[in-house]
Amino acid sequence: MGDSQDPLNKRWDHLRKILERPGPFCHPEFEPSPEILDFIMTGCKILVIGAGGLGCELLKDLALMGFKQIHVIDMDIIELSNLNRQFLFRHKDIGSSKAEVAAAFINKRIAGCQVTPHFCKIQDYDESFYRQFHIIVCGLDSIVARRWINGMLISLLNYEDGVLDQSSVIPIVDGGTEGFKGNARVILPGLSACIDCTLDLYPPQITYPLCTIANTPRLPEHCIEYVKVIQWPKENPWGIQLDGDDPQHIGWIYEKSMERALQFNITGLTYRLVQGVVKHIIPAVASTNAVIAAVCATEVFKLATSCCIPMNNYMVFNDVDGIYTYTYEAEKKDNCLACSQVPYTIPIKDPAKYKLKDLIELLCESASFQMKNPGLTTVIDGKNKTLYMSTIKSIEEKTKENLSKSLVDLGLRDNSEVMVADLTSPSTMVLKLKYLVSDVEME
Amino acid sequence: MSSPVPKSPEQSEKSKKYDRQLRLWGDHGQKLLENAKVCLINVTALGTEILKSLVLPGIGAFTIVDGEKITEQDTGSNFFLDNDSVGLSRAQVATRCLLELNPDVHGDYIDESPEHIMAHTQDFFNNFSVVIATSLPEKILLPLSKQLWEANVPLIVGRSIGFLAYLRLQIREHTVIEVHPDNEIPDLRLENPWPALREHLNNIDILKLDKKDRSHVPALVILYYYLDKFKNVYGGVPVTRSQKDVLRNLIKEGNSFNDEDDENHLEENFQEAIHYVNTCIGQSRIPSQVQALLDDERCTNLTQESSSFWVMCAALRELVQSDGALPVRGSLPDMAADTINYVALQQLYQKQAQFQAEAQLYQKQAQFQAEAVYRRASQIARSLGQSPDTITEHEVKLFCKHASELYVARGSCIAEEYQSTAFDISSYLEDPDSLMLYYAIIRGLERFISEFNTTPGQFDDQVEPDVLKLKGIIGKLLAEWGCGQAIRDERIHEVCRYGGAELHSVSAMLGGCAAHEIIKLITHQYKPLDNTFIYDAITTNSATFVL
Amino acid sequence: MIKLFSLKQQKKDGEASPRSGNQKKPSAAQLRIAKDINELNLPKTCNTEFPDPDDLLSFKLIICPDEGFYRTGRFVFSFKVGPNYPHEPPKVKCETQVYHPNIDQQGNVCLNILREDWKPVLTINSIVYGLQYLFLEPNAEDPLNKEAADVLTNNRRLFEQNVQKAMRGGFVGGIYFDRCLK
Repeated sequence: MGDSQDPLNKRWDHLRKILERPGPFCHPEFEPSPEILDFIMTGCKILVIGAGGLGCELLKDLALMGFKQIHVIDMDIIELSNLNRQFLFRHKDIGSSKAEVAAAFINKRIAGCQVTPHFCKIQDYDESFYRQFHIIVCGLDSIVARRWINGMLISLLNYEDGVLDQSSVIPIVDGGTEGFKGNARVILPGLSACIDCTLDLYPPQITYPLCTIANTPRLPEHCIEYVKVIQWPKENPWGIQLDGDDPQHIGWIYEKSMERALQFNITGLTYRLVQGVVKHIIPAVASTNAVIAAVCATEVFKLATSCCIPMNNYMVFNDVDGIYTYTYEAEKKDNCLACSQVPYTIPIKDPAKYKLKDLIELLCESASFQMKNPGLTTVIDGKNKTLYMSTIKSIEEKTKENLSKSLVDLGLRDNSEVMVADLTSPSTMVLKLKYLVSDVEME
Repeated sequence: MSSPVPKSPEQSEKSKKYDRQLRLWGDHGQKLLENAKVCLINVTALGTEILKSLVLPGIGAFTIVDGEKITEQDTGSNFFLDNDSVGLSRAQVATRCLLELNPDVHGDYIDESPEHIMAHTQDFFNNFSVVIATSLPEKILLPLSKQLWEANVPLIVGRSIGFLAYLRLQIREHTVIEVHPDNEIPDLRLENPWPALREHLNNIDILKLDKKDRSHVPALVILYYYLDKFKNVYGGVPVTRSQKDVLRNLIKEGNSFNDEDDENHLEENFQEAIHYVNTCIGQSRIPSQVQALLDDERCTNLTQESSSFWVMCAALRELVQSDGALPVRGSLPDMAADTINYVALQQLYQKQAQFQAEAQLYQKQAQFQAEAVYRRASQIARSLGQSPDTITEHEVKLFCKHASELYVARGSCIAEEYQSTAFDISSYLEDPDSLMLYYAIIRGLERFISEFNTTPGQFDDQVEPDVLKLKGIIGKLLAEWGCGQAIRDERIHEVCRYGGAELHSVSAMLGGCAAHEIIKLITHQYKPLDNTFIYDAITTNSATFVL
Repeated sequence: MIKLFSLKQQKKDGEASPRSGNQKKPSAAQLRIAKDINELNLPKTCNTEFPDPDDLLSFKLIICPDEGFYRTGRFVFSFKVGPNYPHEPPKVKCETQVYHPNIDQQGNVCLNILREDWKPVLTINSIVYGLQYLFLEPNAEDPLNKEAADVLTNNRRLFEQNVQKAMRGGFVGGIYFDRCLK
């Protein structure tokens, strides 16, 4: 098979010592064998999300940890300010796709590695794409994207009678950096704390009171925010939305903020600060990205090979003062909106006759639910649909006709999921409809 | 037309490229980085990963010393040795691959072993800002360590083996001006205001202000006012917690004499004033670690070789002797506007003007003091026979601004650590999870390599015998140190099973850490590692030990 | 302890067929907003309007104060809830032109929980109450409309007249306000 099996090829000797010898600290079920290296080289598919500061490092680290079937997805193109840390890119690459340039570089440098680039948004792909991977590694700077992929992988979980089928778990290894601080974590969706369980760990964006920036600015940041939030929409110099990457726009903001700073006798306003505030720039250095990506890649290696027990489950890193790390177990939240929903199966005998109001009656009157004013929503063909909500007049009026429709008429199918919000439960509940007739009979 | 507003400045290519890091260590830090040159001994994956994170941010130059040829195994762990380079010089290929990363950086290599250079060009390594040694055997490490200690050139030593990583920083003396603390304590000087500030603050009588105006006085004015009252009654500033409680209560009462006694009704500026009582009042005027620097022999006995840091310290010392305090930092924390009460707009602007008036007072005083220190430092430098432009005004300003954070790191010599016999690590080893045990293992490993010229477990059929050999060596070491504890066999077995394997992701982690330590040394910003870092990638735990 | 992959189940390519009846799940933001909306407990002066009942992420809030300076008026606010809700607050704009110290001509609203004091535990309900309070107790301390704040502080009678004039439709301080009486 691949070069892992070739006894004359000594290239992967480092990995083979780890994977072909038993050790006292290995995972209890680890069985050393050449097959493991063969698996990570030929069978194991990894997705790297983001080909930026962390992504470039991750691709290098994974490729040198033996992984060959790697996909990378990134919607961004290369900019000059990336070059101080995104080491797979050169000046000539500015303007090209990060994913494509990064993949080509790795494939050229490490013979046999097959990185497949995807120059698009993560939201452009559906579950059939994400399902093909064994492990997904994130090097993102956006909370929205993290929450999206988190939700996607949770939606791939399979529950049988309320019990999670572990073969449907795709682990997420997630890294994040800011300046000299960073964190790395391992998420086993449905089993350990997910992104939404620990949403409080992400600091909110710095904002200033609107009235301060409008009337009592004291900091240069207040002047910049004023021009950005109030003056730009009002004067709209180019008749378009503010684009932080357009030097003309930044120049305008700089000049107007400077004017305001002079007016209020505020010092310390610089072009760099204007760029930072307008674009919410997060400082970044090569070293922190290297550290965090390397910790993530080590965890991917542990997960894929079982050579050690994976990290449980969150590590923080900071090298402002000496070198500091701390690893702890972030806790899974019982009422997490993203990962706590174990679907509750509701058997339906005759879905063509069973009406929505029957379902609501069940929710309100059955001893196991005892709900008050359940609001029901679902997703049909990828689109959100509000089935019924009694508490909001305008919604009630527009959805009450659904009450007398049957589940089939509403477009709900066998295994469809209905989300129920009610005062009686701290989070939204998921009902899974189980039709006791086959689809054929229904046609 | 109002006064002309400056047009947006043209950004240089460099400042765009390095933007994300300039926001951290500034243009002055970048300049130091671009003037620095480092030397890497041995092209391991760890070594090139360290250089990578120095070349990308734009280090001035690097030199690689390595006399080996590239093996197939090398290309399986090192990203900067390409596929088809097996058999070529490691130093040469790594230099070429690293230089591709950044055209601003100069790089060269010497295709000779470090022993050879140590034997033939004794002082070669003394010419670098920092020397990096990875997987360097004891017999060269120890003389190199001694030599660089004498020359006061920082040495950083690293080893990555299996899931284990070790980093040791040797610095004789390293000075830091900006430590970038996480929480900066505001420098308000309310206990000993300089005359202009005192006059300004004495002019505001809080009790004479009506409720609206009072709610818009900056917190520092309130704090000064009640501190003054406190001093009149108790004859000094509050130092103990109960004294501070008295002051806090004074402020609280001052805010609520016509309201119901409800803490939630405290106005924001009064709340802020109460908040500042803890950190900004009753602290010693000169932090003890700064006083220690001013009294240091390096400060009191300057020579022609004294660095600008110590010359500035000497000038600062004179200022402190005459003023009894460090120079004012010159910046005030933002003191928020109240969000509860109504007040006339006009007064908002007055408050605005007042805060700015105070901010300017602090700024002016800082500038005035920095100029005094600059003049004095230049005089001292001249009297020492140093060139007059060794110290710049910008440097002095930065130095004065950060006078309360000044930091000097003094480390220990690796050669001495290795020769030390009174080396008691028993207390650490009592905790079975202490990573100190890996230190003992790494020292044993180094001795194993010196004795047998190979790493333990290098060959599949030698793992078990090597476990016994390594165990013997470590046992001897512990006995030499007078340490009664033993290391559990399984730990030793684990290291032997690695057989010297270098895992790329473990090296990359340590490489990032090491690179930033080197940046700290070069920029004289942030506190460096003191002095040994051990990382266990199995458990993702790390520890720092002072050895 | 979970061991994720046995070497037997190596390849994933062949098994990409989706489970029957599988569907895309709503995002965490969707789930949360559904809960917020279902549990909205509006004061009697407030009402919501959902142009599309399937889209719970964008709707309008109508406030008709029954006391205070604004008691005869009708004010419409638009809510846009983003994919990062509740990590980030919804974007709220006042669509009715109003003479109010805390609301400017562009419809920006100065309410602390819409910006600096937003926390994920807050809900749409919290914002509704915050907005309603702005009409009961306009706050001259945090002005966005400085002139209005100035008048409110110095001459409450004149402020009341100006509010009435603006709500009936007409010029106040050189700015034209559309009629917004209920």
